[in-house]
Amino acid sequence: MDANFLITTIIGTVCFAVLAPVIGCLIDGIDRIVSARMQGRVGPKLLQPYWDVRKLLGKDKVAVSGSEDTYIGLALFFAILAGGIFFSGGNLLLVVFVITLSSLFFIVAAYSTRSPYAEVGAARETLQVMSYEPMVLFMAVAFYQVVGTFDTSGVFLLRHPAICTAWGAFIGLCFVLTIKLRKSPFDISSSHHAHQEIVKGITTEMSGPTLAKVEIMHWCETVLFMGWVGVFFVFSHPISILVAVLVALVIYLFEIWVDNNFARVKWQAMLKWAWIVALVAGGLNVAVLAFI
Amino acid sequence: MELVGFLILFPLLSAIALYFIKGNGARKAIVLGSAAVIAFATLVLCIGNVSTPPVFYDFESTIVEVACMVIGVVIGAIVLWFAWKYKNVLAGVLGAVQLVASVVFDLVFAHSVHVAQGLYIDSLSVMMAFIIGIIGSGICVYALGYMEDHVEEHPEQDDRRPLFFALMFLFLSAMFAIVFSNNMTWMFTGWEVTTLCSFLLIGYTRTDEAIANAFRQIIMNIAGGIGFLVALYYCAARMGTLDFNQFIQMGLSAPAVIALPVCALAFAGITKAAQMPFHSWLLGAMVAPTPTSALLHSSTMVKAGVFLLVKLAPLFAISVAPAVMVVLVGGITFTLASFMAISQSNAKRVLAYSTIANLGLIVACAGVGTPEAVWAAMFLILFHAAAKSLLFLCVGTAEHHIGSRDIEDMDLLFERMPQLARNMMVGIMIMFVAPFGMLISKWATLVSFVDNHQVALIVLLAYGSAATFMFWAKWLGKLSGVAGNPDNVEATVHKSEWGAIFTMTTLALVFCIALPWLSFAVVLPYIDGVYHQPVFSLDSDVLALMSILSLAVIIVLVAGSVGGSKKRRVGAYLAGVSVDNLERTYRNSLSQEAKASVRNMYLSDIFGEERVTPVGVVSTTIIIVGAFAAALATMTALL
Repeated sequence: MDANFLITTIIGTVCFAVLAPVIGCLIDGIDRIVSARMQGRVGPKLLQPYWDVRKLLGKDKVAVSGSEDTYIGLALFFAILAGGIFFSGGNLLLVVFVITLSSLFFIVAAYSTRSPYAEVGAARETLQVMSYEPMVLFMAVAFYQVVGTFDTSGVFLLRHPAICTAWGAFIGLCFVLTIKLRKSPFDISSSHHAHQEIVKGITTEMSGPTLAKVEIMHWCETVLFMGWVGVFFVFSHPISILVAVLVALVIYLFEIWVDNNFARVKWQAMLKWAWIVALVAGGLNVAVLAFI
Repeated sequence: MELVGFLILFPLLSAIALYFIKGNGARKAIVLGSAAVIAFATLVLCIGNVSTPPVFYDFESTIVEVACMVIGVVIGAIVLWFAWKYKNVLAGVLGAVQLVASVVFDLVFAHSVHVAQGLYIDSLSVMMAFIIGIIGSGICVYALGYMEDHVEEHPEQDDRRPLFFALMFLFLSAMFAIVFSNNMTWMFTGWEVTTLCSFLLIGYTRTDEAIANAFRQIIMNIAGGIGFLVALYYCAARMGTLDFNQFIQMGLSAPAVIALPVCALAFAGITKAAQMPFHSWLLGAMVAPTPTSALLHSSTMVKAGVFLLVKLAPLFAISVAPAVMVVLVGGITFTLASFMAISQSNAKRVLAYSTIANLGLIVACAGVGTPEAVWAAMFLILFHAAAKSLLFLCVGTAEHHIGSRDIEDMDLLFERMPQLARNMMVGIMIMFVAPFGMLISKWATLVSFVDNHQVALIVLLAYGSAATFMFWAKWLGKLSGVAGNPDNVEATVHKSEWGAIFTMTTLALVFCIALPWLSFAVVLPYIDGVYHQPVFSLDSDVLALMSILSLAVIIVLVAGSVGGSKKRRVGAYLAGVSVDNLERTYRNSLSQEAKASVRNMYLSDIFGEERVTPVGVVSTTIIIVGAFAAALATMTALL
């Protein structure tokens, strides 16, 4: 095997492990402030998410199930690995599969507690994965059709950004992003608020350092997903990277706006709409790209 | 060649011995001894022929020809006898048609056609031999312990274990005959023997349900067998050959000529591989004792169907009508069977739908017919065989010890049967997530679909995979639950069952870790021999990374579950005052005791069988009829 590939992946993963939590934490801080302003509140300080996680890390180590921590550790590791592969120019489809593996371990961690609320949350999270999975695959396929390779480094050789011909897949991605980020109206497995009908859903039984790992994992995921958004705008011109970052920010602000303006839907609606959007936006885009 | 002959004949002799020797101890010795000999011979064959190019052996034999005819007559007679005994008209008619057709074929047509090279070996048949010889004989060993419990649990049924074990070994013999025969008549004989064996195994318990399901199986598979016969007639009469390799070569130079026989053979493959609209026979086969299901689903029967289709893959790449049929039937079956698996809580039924779905994917890959698609198909066959046999064996053992095969009853299996639950979880993970084998194969499948602009297949794969995640993840979640200290009921599991289960787990994991090597040493040589061109589906880098990750995940999971956590244990949150947290009971707002229990989601309003099945049956029937019409039109245009 090519040693370069392994080394690039390892360096990328280490860099991602250091940088993504920082960036993700800042995004989370901005998220809370913007959300607060939309609701007519002042909101917490920018670094509040960081202090929250620090506090969690200092708490007592208690657990309902002995294996929960192992599963969460694996989930965090694979989320970081997925980010590392993505930002070091690796295979996009591999990134998709690795982040799915991360979600699976997160789900299994919740199941392993046998807590009724966590189990309902885990079952709903499984539904969320099933809802967004087709669109995510279409996105990767459309990317491949446009760029000619699944490697994200391929975008730097493009003469036009992928968005020019893959805008259908991009719209579809933006739609399922709300599910992936667990934002309202699709925050059915675990909302930011503990007062929903299933308490805190999938994270009900996670506490202290385990919950801190979950938070860090979400930060990493957010950065990775914003990377997916941005990669549609990058091409051979260096300035495009800046454009990509700006677009990612705009899309994130849009997600916050959606989060604050839509009431949670039932899972039936989520599944139905996610699959329809995937077929219309993603499937059609893939079909068109296949025949031009 | 001696070894090939030995592998075909030895299980046959074991089968005869097992049928006539009734003693319990003797049976045990014969089964263990034969399984060891078969496994050893298979290993010798595989090691001696790693990366072998196709080798054809000059072998003609009047004895084999006569034997094939006699076997054909015997099969027909048995089917007719059972049809008469149970008054099943359709089975009787089909059996009679097949009996007459095959005798006429043997006496009139096959006589004039000589096949000089009756046997052959290539990398695909080596891989299949490994699956049959190692996994198949492992299942036979497992059956020893399982059947002992089965006989104890069902005192009302006759102890017909001699027949049962004889059929299991006969099955292996027939499978070896299929994968090593270059003479299509011999292959057909093996094909029919597997049909008959599974008929008798499904009907083993002789309950009304078992008999009804056995007849469903035989009717569908004899229909497929008649399809095979049509192809044989065509080959002998119009093309003047019954040499399988020659048939493929002739087809490659004249695609229009072979449209009809390829359609007919593909039809046979589709029935045997339990594709829609013929999937119901495999679901019905569940009534048989679990080792039968394991054998049918993993290493024999359905694998014969996909083996034939993979063999025909180069022809699908150039012949439109059969290719469209195979691609669409496979793709639709994959998606719809995955949907229906969501709605099932019976573990064996989930496994059955998952088998049907994965076979659909293999069938679709074969239909695409490019080197990349065949690469994916071969890996799907390999990983599916290992992981699915493991899962069936685990479910069978769990069923005997917890008294249920319902996934909801597997709650806390991790504590009641810790070893078994771990093996089962490994099997499930290998079936559907990165970095394990099945997902890598699906990935290669996706790439080959994209490269061939198979938009319909991409869409079907995307939705089917999403459903796959759902039904495996919730099962995996159910197994992972840890709480309380229920009785460990694992101590009474037979040693032979453990032996087989651990062998399957080890095999499946070794396949995952050795994936890059397998690609290089087993799959690529076959593709090179068939297509004479290199394959570019997945980077060797990616394969190597997956291999490393598989190892890492296994180590962490084993270490994590052995080490245990030092954290302080607390009870689960129950939104009330807990009465007994281990039992999940609490005092509710009316000061009454209530128990919190959760069931998985089965979404039967959306993915229920009665909603999905008609869609699949109607659409695939239309596709198959359309493809045959197109193939017939091509043929008449040629005349």
